[in-house]
Amino acid sequence: MTILFRKIFLLCMDCNMSKIVKLQFSVEVSMIDYIAAFITGLTTGGLSCLAVQGGLLTSSIARQVENEARNAVAGRSVKAARVKSGSPAVPARNKRSALAITIFLAAKLLAYTLVGFLLGALGSAFQLTPVMQGIFHLAIGVFMVGNALRMFNVHPVFRYFSFEPPSFLTRFIRRTARNSQGEFITPAFLGLLTVFIPCGVTQTIMALALATGDPIQGALLMFAFTLGTSPVFFTLAYLFTSLGAKLERGFLVVTAALVLILGVVSMDTGLNLVGSPVSISRVFASQTIEHANILQSAESAVIQINVENSRYSPNVVYAQAGVPVRLELVTDNTQSCTRAFTIPSLDIAQILPKTGVVAIEIPVQKAGRLGFTCSMGMYSGEIIFQ
Amino acid sequence: MEKRAYKVPDMHCPNCKMRLEGLEDELPGIRQIYASYHQQTLSIEFDERLVSEIEIIQAAKLMGYQLIAD
Repeated sequence: MTILFRKIFLLCMDCNMSKIVKLQFSVEVSMIDYIAAFITGLTTGGLSCLAVQGGLLTSSIARQVENEARNAVAGRSVKAARVKSGSPAVPARNKRSALAITIFLAAKLLAYTLVGFLLGALGSAFQLTPVMQGIFHLAIGVFMVGNALRMFNVHPVFRYFSFEPPSFLTRFIRRTARNSQGEFITPAFLGLLTVFIPCGVTQTIMALALATGDPIQGALLMFAFTLGTSPVFFTLAYLFTSLGAKLERGFLVVTAALVLILGVVSMDTGLNLVGSPVSISRVFASQTIEHANILQSAESAVIQINVENSRYSPNVVYAQAGVPVRLELVTDNTQSCTRAFTIPSLDIAQILPKTGVVAIEIPVQKAGRLGFTCSMGMYSGEIIFQ
Repeated sequence: MEKRAYKVPDMHCPNCKMRLEGLEDELPGIRQIYASYHQQTLSIEFDERLVSEIEIIQAAKLMGYQLIAD
C-alpha cells in the first residue's frame, strides 16, 4: 500500500512540479491561475493528497462500512417487525456511501476554502512548520492505529479511540436527520481535519494563497484546487465502498487492516518530520553511509548529497561538530518529493530545481544527529556531528 | 417508574449508542435512556404501565442488540 501511494506520488510530482513551481513565482493571480490550480488538483493533487489524507477518508468510510455491515444484519429482522426507524434496504447502501464521501469532500472543500481565505488575509509568515505537521501526523497516526485495533476488537480500551458524542447531540441529530442517523457527522468532521495534514501539492497551493495577500483570491485559489482534487477522491473512495458492501463483515477486517497500515505510515511520517532519529522507514531504508564526500577545512565543511527520486544518497553523513557545514544538494532530473527538502529542527524548507545544485548553510552544530527529510516525511536521512 | 441497567456486548461502534437510544422514539413510556459504547451499557427508565421490560428487550433484539441484565 505504501509503495503504491509512493508510486502515485512520484507520478504526480513528475508531471506537475514544473507547473507548480511556475505558479509559485507568479504573485499576480489571474483566471489562468485558478484554472491551473483546478487542473493541478484534478490531475495530481487528488492522487498525491490521497497518499496523505487517504487515511482520514478510509477512517470515515470504515465507520460507514461498519454501519452498513451492522445494518445488513439488523435490517432484515427489523424490517420484518416493521419497526419504523429500521435500517434502509440493501440497494440504498451505495447511495449512502456516496453521500458520506460527498459530505467528507464538501467539508474538506469548505475547510480549505476557509484556510485559503485566512492565508490570504494573513498574507504574512503563516506556515505550519515541519515539526507542527509532524506532531499532527503522529497524533493522527496514533488515532488511526487505535481505531484499527478497536475494529479488530483487540481490547476494550481501544473503544476510547472513538468519539462518543453526548446524548443531547445524538438525540438532536437523530431527530433532525432520521434517514442518515447522524453517521455523516464523522465524515464531515474528518473532512475538516484534513486541513491539518496538507500534502505536498496542497502546501504549494497554500503558499500561493498566502502570497496573494488577499482573502478572496486566497479562498478562490484553494477552492479551485480542492474542487479539482474531489473527483479522484470520490471515484477511488466510491469503488472502495461498493466493493465493501458486497463482502459484508469480512471487509471490516480489510478496512481495519488498511487503517492500521495508513496509521503506521502517518506515524512514520510524523516521526520523520519532527526529526526523530528513530522511524520505521529509517529501519528499513538501506543506509548509504558516507565519509568521503566531506571536504573538510578548518573553518567549514562541504557535504554533497545526491537527491534521487527515491532516496537521498548518502543518507547518513558524518560531519565535525562545531564547524559550519555547507550542504550541497545535487538534483539530476529528479522528479519526486525528495525535491522538497526539509530540515525540521532548523526550520529549513527548500524546493530544489529539477536539475541543479542548491547550497544550504547549516550553522555550527553541537555533537549529535541532525535529521533531514522530504516534506512528506517519506524519504529521510541524517547528518551525524561528532 | 422502573429503572434497569444492561450490559450490551453487541455494541460495536459509537453509532450503536445513537441507534439504541433511538428506542425512545419507537416505544411509548420511555422517560430516560442512556447508552454508552465505551462502557457497553444501556440504562433506561420507563413507565411500566405503558411499556414492559420484555418489549424493550425485544425491540433491542430486533435492532441486533442483546440486552443482558446487569
